[in-house]
Amino acid sequence: MTENRTVVLLLLLAAILPAFAGGQYVMHLLIMTFFYAMLSTSLNLIVGYVGELSLGHAAFFGLGAYASAVLSLEAGLPFFACLPVAGVVAGLAALLIGSITLRLEGHFFVLISLAFAEVLRYVVINSIDLLRGPLGYPNVPAPRLSLGGTVLADFSSKIHFYYLGLALLALTLLAAWRFARSSYGLGAIAVRENRRLARAVGIDPFRHALVAFVVGGALAGLAGSFYAHYLTFVGPEVLGFGFTLSALMMVVIGGRGTLLGPLLGAAVVGITLELLRSVNEARLSIFGILLVLAVIFLPDGLVSLAARWRRPTLEADQATAALDSPLRP
Amino acid sequence: MLLGDILQFALNGVVTGCFYALMALGLSLVFGLMNIVNFAHGALFVLGGMLASEATNRLGLPFWAAVPAVLLVMWAVGVAIEGGLLARMRDAHILPVTLVTIGLSTFLVNTMLMLFGTEPKNVETGFSGPPFFLGDVIISQSRVLAIGVSAVAILATWVLIAHTRAGRAMRAVFQQPEAAALAGIPIARVHRFTFALGTTLAGLAGILLGAVFVVHPNTAEPAAVKAFVVIILGGIGSLPGAVLGGLLLGLAESLWGGFVSTGYMDAVGFVLVIAILLFRPSGLLGAPAAREG
Amino acid sequence: MLDLRRFLAGLVMLGASASAAIAQPQSVRIGVIEPQTGPVAFDGTSVLRGARLAAEEINRAGGVLGRPLELVIADGACRPADSVAAAERLITSEKVAALMGAFCSGATQAVMPIAERNRIPLVTGVSSLPTLTEAGNRWFFRNAETDAVLAAAFARGLVEQTKAKTVAFLAVNDDWGRGTVGAFRGVFERLGVTISMAEFFDHSASDFYTPLTRIRSARPDLVVVVAETQAAATLVKQARELRLSSRIFGVGAWSTPTFLNLVGSAANGLLAGVAYTATAPGDLNAAFVQAYRAANNEDPGKYSASGYTTMHLIAQAIARAGSTDAVAIQTALEATDYTGPTGNLRFDGKHQVYGLQLYVVEIENGRPEVRGTARIERAD
Repeated sequence: MTENRTVVLLLLLAAILPAFAGGQYVMHLLIMTFFYAMLSTSLNLIVGYVGELSLGHAAFFGLGAYASAVLSLEAGLPFFACLPVAGVVAGLAALLIGSITLRLEGHFFVLISLAFAEVLRYVVINSIDLLRGPLGYPNVPAPRLSLGGTVLADFSSKIHFYYLGLALLALTLLAAWRFARSSYGLGAIAVRENRRLARAVGIDPFRHALVAFVVGGALAGLAGSFYAHYLTFVGPEVLGFGFTLSALMMVVIGGRGTLLGPLLGAAVVGITLELLRSVNEARLSIFGILLVLAVIFLPDGLVSLAARWRRPTLEADQATAALDSPLRP
Repeated sequence: MLLGDILQFALNGVVTGCFYALMALGLSLVFGLMNIVNFAHGALFVLGGMLASEATNRLGLPFWAAVPAVLLVMWAVGVAIEGGLLARMRDAHILPVTLVTIGLSTFLVNTMLMLFGTEPKNVETGFSGPPFFLGDVIISQSRVLAIGVSAVAILATWVLIAHTRAGRAMRAVFQQPEAAALAGIPIARVHRFTFALGTTLAGLAGILLGAVFVVHPNTAEPAAVKAFVVIILGGIGSLPGAVLGGLLLGLAESLWGGFVSTGYMDAVGFVLVIAILLFRPSGLLGAPAAREG
Repeated sequence: MLDLRRFLAGLVMLGASASAAIAQPQSVRIGVIEPQTGPVAFDGTSVLRGARLAAEEINRAGGVLGRPLELVIADGACRPADSVAAAERLITSEKVAALMGAFCSGATQAVMPIAERNRIPLVTGVSSLPTLTEAGNRWFFRNAETDAVLAAAFARGLVEQTKAKTVAFLAVNDDWGRGTVGAFRGVFERLGVTISMAEFFDHSASDFYTPLTRIRSARPDLVVVVAETQAAATLVKQARELRLSSRIFGVGAWSTPTFLNLVGSAANGLLAGVAYTATAPGDLNAAFVQAYRAANNEDPGKYSASGYTTMHLIAQAIARAGSTDAVAIQTALEATDYTGPTGNLRFDGKHQVYGLQLYVVEIENGRPEVRGTARIERAD
């Protein structure tokens, strides 16, 4: 169970990090890393555990962001009330979309998931009266944590968002871990590995995929709510393909179907993009090349590197990865 | 609403439909045969337009000389991408392969922005004379050119697939990859040929886009996404489906924009995709979309 | 534990790059957040060209406060998240004295609270959403016309000049397109002009035959088009192909060389309302056009001019402040009185610029000829 321990250790390290590393910008990068780690962990439930390529994940993230922005600005609800609602809204959307699309064969699922997200984006862009269309929602208020009459944290400082993000990330990872260990998670993995065999032992692939889809969608909604209140602006771009692509990148670079993978992916992609700022215009070109190389040489992600390190041969490598996995039945 | 308007909408739809069909043709072959969700398809499409713009504007080549030259380059680019990247990942999971095409697309789009500048470009065709009139319906010379070239390209692709050895090998690999390999068909070469063909078709669509409209690296992603819509409408791996799906999407968008609202024009395709997969899950012409179980 | 080490190594490198940046005390640094990639990359790059020219001029004349002016440029991609990240980096690790940006109104809105929290002046030369200056953010300044101001300045004159009774709108489907249509519509309706339709298109749209066919059938006297270079160029060519008889009035970068090159002779007869044109009268503009041509081999457009004047007025404010102290710069910006190629610029109580010259141009033989001018007056 080294992977779980590594994850816990990383979270603990992150919790004491502000004592050593300061700087608003580093804080901001870390907060965004937490956010992306949440988003990619939620996507990982679908692409990693169920093994379906979902290109519409931004729909759930975006719905969460919009739900939170609208509730706090129009209804005046506090962040800690908006957050769960955002998760529920996104989860319900995932239930609706998933129950329609997950019955379709893989190729078709890839594209129809994207179609749903894009339709949603166009609906938002064109709903001027209801959702302010392309104008979006500026000035989404910061959270406020109070007990009785005393304000514990007013989130005027980055450190508050840092710990909020870390807490939500821990919650997301816990949910993902619980899911992966549950009968649904194990069933989903069985379906991913061998669909026919799984059916033969009585696992309903659709139901297992749907549960993963709903949990993943709800977690993306929570990430959306956090994003809305941290960045203070929500517009139709939150429903755009870009967020799905970023999350997908992180899942694959880190290692799909693992708990640690999306976490590593978010950190590594974020840091790489930051370090590449020194090359100015060539930044994204070089990033594209790095992405291609990373995937070609490490198709199973950074997580597989650790296994390779310990055992020299490829076969032993895979065996170790399988044994290390906390997801083994 | 005048009859002339309806005909004009329909004709507009046919023109955009030709672009969609050309784009989708290549993508559908690659998706169906190689099982690759090729996100770089849009970037390759823009690359064709950009190269043709450089050839006709900067080098001053005539359109008819520029087109074959650019298509040749595109073929070579396709061979290089397949040989250098995709061939290494033939047995990999769909996810890493998709990500490789995303990385490739990021690289291509941003490198084009660096090399060719951020401004939109056009392709000089020499067909800028007065438009043709058919009653109230108007069509410009460059659009007639685009329809003509698309028709020829679609026909040529059909002949290639239906009546040549290479085409037979492609069909065999698409229908029964294992059996095709057992029968001695060189799968690796078929894949390379297919990808190069797809890249060239995308490049041709880009050239025509630059000839009729303008071409810009931003159009890469929306164009790729549209092409995916088309192959769902038509059916994955189906050549007539890609053409039919392209024309259908072009017409549907144009008529929707004409009679209802242009704000939702780009959403029409996605709504159609959802509707078709719900009611006729195999696409218009194609294999079943529902799982066996 | 290999991965953990990598993670920490990355963090250390980040910290190192941040401290390297601080160890350069002699220059006055201005952060510039503009889109260099994404849907408005072309216009964002134009802003940068203008800003760079201004910085060169300032440095040739001895810099500010006796120190060279240094632009720290970051790509905001017109996206809120990217622009916020850029602002955080420019403020905390690049230690800029002031910020310029972030082009798209949505991105600017996301950056505004960061400027406020860090007490750093933020000047936009582009974002036109009227509510930006209504938020009461005292660190934010706008050196650009708003949608509403532009409509107020042009709508009445346009109706009088073209004697239009019916108008159709065709605009890009974003905050700027929607906002401009809303503002023009209000004035037109008050003048008793009939609005026959308002159609919106996507940023990446390239075929406009469908909405243009509808407009052709409706036969409005005037079509108001809100579009940036790429869409505007295709749209005008297609309008000509379809023999649209209505007069076209364009809002956006309609007098830039790229636009005119792409459209060619089809541009003749177009009317456009612009906050800048290279053919505007005045010695200051002539000098700017000459310098810009020498540096970039083409005429400046609206965005180049906005980048140029915004950088100049920031530098002047720093010079007047006498230091790079943020409060001093903010106070100096409030007292801005800068005369440049776009007019005599000052900020009102809400930090909205006034004194900006607006032009109605008509394209004649591929050249934008000034047909009328308006000046943005103090609004508050």
